[in-house]
Amino acid sequence: MFNALRKGFGLTFKSMFRPSSTTEYPDTRRDTAPRFHGRHVLNRWPDGLEKCVGCELCAWACPADAIFVRGEDNTPQARFSPGERYGADYQINYLRCIFCGLCIEACPTRALTMTNEYELSADKREDFIFTKEMLLAPLPEGAKPPPHTDDEVEARGMTYYQGHAAQDPLRHWQADLAAPEEHGDPVTTDLLDDPRPGGGQG
Amino acid sequence: MSDDQITVTIDGTEVQVPEGTLVIRAAERLGITIPRFCDHPLLEPVAACRQCIVEIEGMRKPMTSCSTKATDGMVVKTHLTSDMAAVAQRGQLEFLLINHPLDCPQCDKGGECPLQDQALAHGPPDSRFIDQKRRYEKPIPISPQILLDRERCVLCARCTRFSQEISGDPFIELFERGALEQVAVYEDEPYHSYFSGNVIQICPVGALTSTSYRFKSRPFDLRSTGGVCNQCSAGCNLRVDTRRGGIERQLAADNMAVNEMWNCDKGRFGFPWVSHPERLQQPQARGSLLALEPVSWHGALTTAAEGLQAALDAGGGDAVGVLTGGRLTDEDAYAVSRFARDAVGTDNVDFRLWPRTDDEREVLAAVAGAPGPTYEDVEHADVVVVAGLDPEEEVPILHLRLRKAWRKHGQRIVVVGPTLGTMSEIAWRWVRTDAGDEGRVLTALATGATTGELQDEVAAALGGDGEGAATSVVVLAGERLSRSPGALPSAAMLAQRRDAAFAWVPRRNGARGALDAGLLPGLLPGGRPQSQAGPVADAWDHVPTAPGRDARGILEAAAAGEIKALYLVGVDPVRDFEDPRLARAALEAADTVIVQDLMRTETTAYADVLLPAAAPQERVGSFTTWEGRRQPFPQALPPQRLQQQDWDITRQLARALGADLGWETASDVRAEAAPLMDRRASVAERLAALESEPLPLATAPVPPLEEGELEAVVADLLLAERSTLLAGADDLLATARTPSAVMAPADAERAGVGHGDTVEVRGPGGAVTLPLAVRPHVVEGSVVLPGNALEAPVGTLADPDDPTGRLRVTVAAAPADELEESA
Amino acid sequence: MSEPISVLTQRYDVPDAHTLAGYERTGGYQSLATAFDQAPTDLVSQVKDAGLRGRGGAGFPTGVKWGFTPRGTGKPTYLVINADEGEPGTFKDRELMERDPHQLLEGIIVSCYALESERAFLYLRGEYLWPGVRLEHAIAEAYEAGYLGKDIKGSGVNVDVTLHYAAGAYICGEETALLDSLEGRRGQPRLRPPFPAQAGVYGMPTQVNNVETIANVPHIVQHGVDWYRSMGTEKSPGPKLFCVSGEVNRPGNYEWPMGATAREIVEVSCQGMLDGRELRFWTPGGSSTPLLTGAHADTPMDFEAIMEAGSLLGTAAMQMFSDRTSVVEAARNWTKFYEHESCGKCTPCREGTFWLSQIYDRLLEGRGRSEDLDLLDEICDNIFGRSFCALGDGAVSPIKSSLALFRDEYEHLIAHGRLPDGIEAHTDAVDRNSGHGRPEQLVGA
Repeated sequence: MFNALRKGFGLTFKSMFRPSSTTEYPDTRRDTAPRFHGRHVLNRWPDGLEKCVGCELCAWACPADAIFVRGEDNTPQARFSPGERYGADYQINYLRCIFCGLCIEACPTRALTMTNEYELSADKREDFIFTKEMLLAPLPEGAKPPPHTDDEVEARGMTYYQGHAAQDPLRHWQADLAAPEEHGDPVTTDLLDDPRPGGGQG
Repeated sequence: MSDDQITVTIDGTEVQVPEGTLVIRAAERLGITIPRFCDHPLLEPVAACRQCIVEIEGMRKPMTSCSTKATDGMVVKTHLTSDMAAVAQRGQLEFLLINHPLDCPQCDKGGECPLQDQALAHGPPDSRFIDQKRRYEKPIPISPQILLDRERCVLCARCTRFSQEISGDPFIELFERGALEQVAVYEDEPYHSYFSGNVIQICPVGALTSTSYRFKSRPFDLRSTGGVCNQCSAGCNLRVDTRRGGIERQLAADNMAVNEMWNCDKGRFGFPWVSHPERLQQPQARGSLLALEPVSWHGALTTAAEGLQAALDAGGGDAVGVLTGGRLTDEDAYAVSRFARDAVGTDNVDFRLWPRTDDEREVLAAVAGAPGPTYEDVEHADVVVVAGLDPEEEVPILHLRLRKAWRKHGQRIVVVGPTLGTMSEIAWRWVRTDAGDEGRVLTALATGATTGELQDEVAAALGGDGEGAATSVVVLAGERLSRSPGALPSAAMLAQRRDAAFAWVPRRNGARGALDAGLLPGLLPGGRPQSQAGPVADAWDHVPTAPGRDARGILEAAAAGEIKALYLVGVDPVRDFEDPRLARAALEAADTVIVQDLMRTETTAYADVLLPAAAPQERVGSFTTWEGRRQPFPQALPPQRLQQQDWDITRQLARALGADLGWETASDVRAEAAPLMDRRASVAERLAALESEPLPLATAPVPPLEEGELEAVVADLLLAERSTLLAGADDLLATARTPSAVMAPADAERAGVGHGDTVEVRGPGGAVTLPLAVRPHVVEGSVVLPGNALEAPVGTLADPDDPTGRLRVTVAAAPADELEESA
Repeated sequence: MSEPISVLTQRYDVPDAHTLAGYERTGGYQSLATAFDQAPTDLVSQVKDAGLRGRGGAGFPTGVKWGFTPRGTGKPTYLVINADEGEPGTFKDRELMERDPHQLLEGIIVSCYALESERAFLYLRGEYLWPGVRLEHAIAEAYEAGYLGKDIKGSGVNVDVTLHYAAGAYICGEETALLDSLEGRRGQPRLRPPFPAQAGVYGMPTQVNNVETIANVPHIVQHGVDWYRSMGTEKSPGPKLFCVSGEVNRPGNYEWPMGATAREIVEVSCQGMLDGRELRFWTPGGSSTPLLTGAHADTPMDFEAIMEAGSLLGTAAMQMFSDRTSVVEAARNWTKFYEHESCGKCTPCREGTFWLSQIYDRLLEGRGRSEDLDLLDEICDNIFGRSFCALGDGAVSPIKSSLALFRDEYEHLIAHGRLPDGIEAHTDAVDRNSGHGRPEQLVGA
């Protein structure tokens, strides 16, 4: 019996001198692994435009049906992203999200990535639905929040998608309704003419 | 196509197909899907995309299976068994992708794109193309409804072939050549077609997309439900795509017996009204301040029942009038029909608010509940007589069937009436009549007492032993024929004498169901007269013994104070009745006006009780096509708010009146209604039975016109800005044809007005101002007015006290001050 | 050893042969009487027996083709003359129509009679303004003199000729695209069946024949089958116009019997290659036919022998290139032509030529990659035999053959980014030839 006591207390005594593995959360916070799957973020271009084009591929990929996206048309007066389309509505339901990361694999523009932030708590179910405003990355320094006008974007002269955008980002079809005589004119009138405008992709 | 069967071997399996079958179709019979882009089962083969290449034994070159007819003993190897075919198909796919922008994330077709699917299934993982793609401006609108992205186009020519072959509106065409070949519209002619939406659906890539569905959703996020279109009596099958309680888009569903694979733009794009702010959201009743206030369903139904009860107490069943509109399902129509007779005890019911003479009852009774000629019968007929109907404007899919028959086997289409409408391309002969005189001409064609070479020729074609006589004839009689004295009976008699199939083609989708349900005075479900109630007597507690009042009678009686309560189900008499002044007077005079409808209308302002009804997409039910085909449809989405199904509202109203009609579900209604609404005897048999009591045929000629007078022909347009069921469909309405008065060149010259002028059309009761179109396809002495697209209903032009119902107008250049106003 | 002959070209040196007077004086319109004395079907068999083969490129026996025309259908039959001479290197019909338009009209009249057709359409290449002027004059004169119109010279035969100027598309030389264009639609080839013989212009039975083919007909009728067969080879009888161009001393149209060799034609008629140049590669029948090399110079120019050598006689448009000219550059030039002229209807031709042309640009700009040669080859395989009409096949012929015969030049280009020494993109052949040894210009004559 004494033997058993000695064994038990001995272990306790020994443990008192071992380094403690308890983290004093929230006073101290442990770093996550660099590729830890935390809360999502919707990235921006350096000029503040959003990278998300509202394609819904993340929602498609999501095995938990946690993402809702709805696209809309960029207009010359209100441009949110380069190209035709932007994500007008973007929601992630963190009660459903399983942090598998398939959504960020699916994202064709690298708009959706995951941060290392893991502190997701709230006291109402609704609060777990993160909207686009909550998910968007902070504006780069000096950048103007979207929407931008096409004139502003043009003045910056920035290239997006390494110049591989599938179309001129500064064209809008509603302009054609007002000026129908422009129909039918291709950007290039003769393919044999060099140099060909714009950049293609492989 | 011959009935001879031939045997073809595809990938080692033998299959029997009729002679003349294309290899690609024969393969489909075996479940072998050969990849294709340009091929479409309803379009002529073009063999442009070269994707469907197969190997055929004995052929030197690889063949395109979409254009090669199978022959007996042919041995075909598809990509599944032939390396040559597989390699060839891969090569074509690579070609198609080199100039494709690969902007799938931005493209509306992404997720349901044949090019995407095939690239995934058969395509190379990476591109060997490192050069420059051709570049175009991103989407250009070819109409306010349709956007064209030429970069994505694979030039399969499906859209251009559709517009040439199927709809006959060749406003889109391929321009340029080589890699710069592109779909385009003519400079001053946008792609305005009633069928333009179909090109979006058949486009195998995202080159053609709609403005209304632009960036709205992805296929995986949509819930698709079958549906039946509620916009006209064609009965097109639909696919209703919903997301989060709203309709995102509607597509044509395949039903080869009805709409084949097409529908019209009104059916495709005309759904935004479902979520329109003008929808009636909750029951309302007049409160203490005599203003409409939201109330509970129980409160609204109690108030309505009290109003009805008060009328019944004051004057019995005859003090109540029930009017219905054209949008009700079969179940609703039957429910209202029985409600009026059983719960209220009145025969004052009518669904016909259109202008009409009083001689159509026998014909309608013969049509009610009977199987009529089908779309296929129309397609295969030798000769089709069209009277009082402009199919493209009224029942567009019927127009496509007629056009198909004209194109495929040269169907002879005879138009009888004062206007050729939009039939000028496909009509074989146009038998001109004065407005109102259709009856006499139809009678002449029936009896052979024709005058003139043209009529003789048509009469000879309609039957008999002569050369070119038709073996099968269909007579299509439109709603408009009701306006001419004796015309509908004459059309029926023409069909009877010439052994032809007869169809009454109403414009609105619920009209045929309402007729079958007996929603008109003196008629019981299935076209039974009151004296021969038969099974109806067993099912119902009360069967009326004397015919009640018709729509005009009901409104006149209400205006005179004889009818105290009006129950209006899905109808807007202020807008739809020919005499809006009478309608307003009636609504003002009636003690209780119960309006059960979808949207706020001019009539709802007069309501004492407003009962909000669910849209067709929000409920179950069935619609009957003009053929008499009943097509049930499921519920696609829940009601927006507190709306309920019409039959259910009627059932609850009956219960509030103390009558239990005994239904719990729509199926209960259908189960009770079906045997009563359908009758076995065909239209022809029933018309033959009428021979003993001759039809009221037209005899008197039209009284001569005064100098400068023109007979008004009222023809409705498909797309009219005031249609409640087009509310919110702005892109669609932007493609509408300009509503204009149409008259013959000689008349225009006499009146001193020209094409494009703004004219004033003045009748005895008032005038309207609208643009004029001068076209030769209106007879002299008539002017065609776009009934549903006018500022004020046509009835305001008429003299309210004129008993003939005839409308004679003068047309003159609009006074200058009005021009300024309109400018 | 053949000798140059003078059948179709017999009036080329008569200054007023293009007028009716000149034509009649030199024995023109003599075959009509002979023809009208015979039954139409006899004429068809005569043409069949003579072994006349289509001169438009395919070499299909004309008499056999005529035999496909249904008779007694109650529908009108049309004869369409394909004068849309667009094949690079081909200019035989132009001279024929410029210098001797009545010869063609005589052929049309006889052919129409043989086909029981009362209407011929002359579909003339839009750029051929001068031949058009000559033809318009000739047609007017022929109507005036009663050779065209109703009851020709009292024979009871009616023939009307409609001259139609094309709008300038190579594809409209393809017979079904020609028919669409003639009807006023986009010139794109039609699906076959139905073949034009059954349903051609406006859905009526139609014969489409080349200018030179029709020009042969009156000679056969007038001089007989045996005379005709005395020229040329057993399977390819008759005279043939050879259009020689490129690095030869005297380019031009030369009439030789079928089966003459390229060497004979070049040496005798063209006075040899330009000074100090060796024949390196050449097209026997225009750019749509695979290239041959100097080693094939002794191949008889007839349909069978050329096919045996791995090419096609086509329109007998011989473009001769020397050892100083780059075959890659020539192939690029042709590819650009086909890219420009592809009608766009079918995928392989539309996209394939677009791609090929960019690869050639890259190669010649020194940006070629080693995998590009296999890529070229594979693209050609994906086009050949899979396009809607023969344009695609023609487009890849020079590429495939040059890759097979001159792969070393391609490899040099990729390895070094430039052409081999002594080989240039453009030699000075055009300058050396201009105004030199050519017949007097006709313009203004």
